[in-house]
Amino acid sequence: MKLLNEILGTRYPVIQGGMANIATGRFAAACANAGAVGLIGTGGIRTAEELRNEIRTARELAPEKEDGYKPVIGVNLMLMNPATDDFVKVCIEEKVSVVTTGAGNPGKYMADFKAAGIKVIPVIGAPILAQHVEKLGADAVIAEGCESGGHVGEMTTMALVPQTVDSVDIPVIAAGGVADNRQFKAALALGACGVQIGTALLASPECPIHENYKEALLKAKGSDAIVTGRIGGTPVRVLKNQMTVQYLKQEKAGADKMELEKYTLGSLRRAVFEGDVKTGSLMSGQVCGQLHDIRPVAEILEDITQM
Amino acid sequence: MDFEAVKEIIVDTLACDEEKVTADARFIEDLEVDSLSLVELHMALEDSLGHSIPDGEIGKLQTVQELVDYCNK
Ligand SMILES: Cc1cc2nc3c(=O)[nH]c(=O)nc-3n(C[C@H](O)[C@H](O)[C@H](O)COP(=O)(O)O)c2cc1C
Repeated sequence: MKLLNEILGTRYPVIQGGMANIATGRFAAACANAGAVGLIGTGGIRTAEELRNEIRTARELAPEKEDGYKPVIGVNLMLMNPATDDFVKVCIEEKVSVVTTGAGNPGKYMADFKAAGIKVIPVIGAPILAQHVEKLGADAVIAEGCESGGHVGEMTTMALVPQTVDSVDIPVIAAGGVADNRQFKAALALGACGVQIGTALLASPECPIHENYKEALLKAKGSDAIVTGRIGGTPVRVLKNQMTVQYLKQEKAGADKMELEKYTLGSLRRAVFEGDVKTGSLMSGQVCGQLHDIRPVAEILEDITQM
Repeated sequence: MDFEAVKEIIVDTLACDEEKVTADARFIEDLEVDSLSLVELHMALEDSLGHSIPDGEIGKLQTVQELVDYCNK
């Protein structure tokens, strides 16, 4: 089996998750320079020009190295975003190497991406979805288990990855719950060709989240990363705090969507930019319990991927 | 495929109450179809029909009757 680094030309078989508001062009460049695929997250991006700027920033900060190594930059598209048509155009014009997709069906864009030579890697949370996107022409899939931070599905990485590997012929990348070398090797043992990492990369000096958010991650135990929104159908894994506890209480009491939105509106931005750890939404995976230091991205990646 | 055959597939894939699957039941509002179950339905119908269905077609249909008509086109 080919490893992801052989498929994409990176140093490590690792994709840095395209985290909304966090994975800027600058952060993607840092991860790409360190040897992973650096993804720009479009979750907080509003216009096509903004995205173009982020891509260009990433390119500028991650130029070809003296030894000939070419850092790999990609974009994460959230397909329910109304600006997706424009974002797709920008990805093609700027010739990014890889596009990962979430929250919807990438079928409509597949032909254009293929024609531009861009690899398309949808994020899936169930094996049947992997089969579906394989038929549409996906180059690989990211099987993301519910240990992960951010929006989650039902299945765990441990159950999802081997079942996905068995149900498709394209390469499978494991995501959710990988923060050290044991988990990396476990992912490969499950049949994955590489991993996508989110939470572990938040605890780095390069990551642009507020210091308070980083501190909260270092302090958190694995069991502090809880899921809100299960009942309403938009489950998100976040750190327990005043806001999320209130949210869960209201949700259980049967509050409607509008009422619940009062809690979450703008809460990710509050956490990321203002460091509001009480009422902000501190998205995090369960691996937060393994993070004890702020370490450079290069060091994190090197440690995780030891063979 | 007649109404009963389509209904059986719907009940099977959505694990919904049989009685809810009437001709004018709406997928999203009445049967609570989400993106995952939509794909499951798509794949199950392909298996029964024995041919592939273009991507996105099933998602355009709103009611059970529309799906029955689609399957018999
Ligand atoms: C703070 C945060 C924000 C995220 N936002 C996104 C996003 O906007 N789009 C996406 O595809 N994945 C998002 N993810 C998921 C990551 O891309 C990745 O799949 C996940 O973090 C892997 O699991 P881990 O957190 O256990 O490493 C996010 C994850 C975190 C922790």
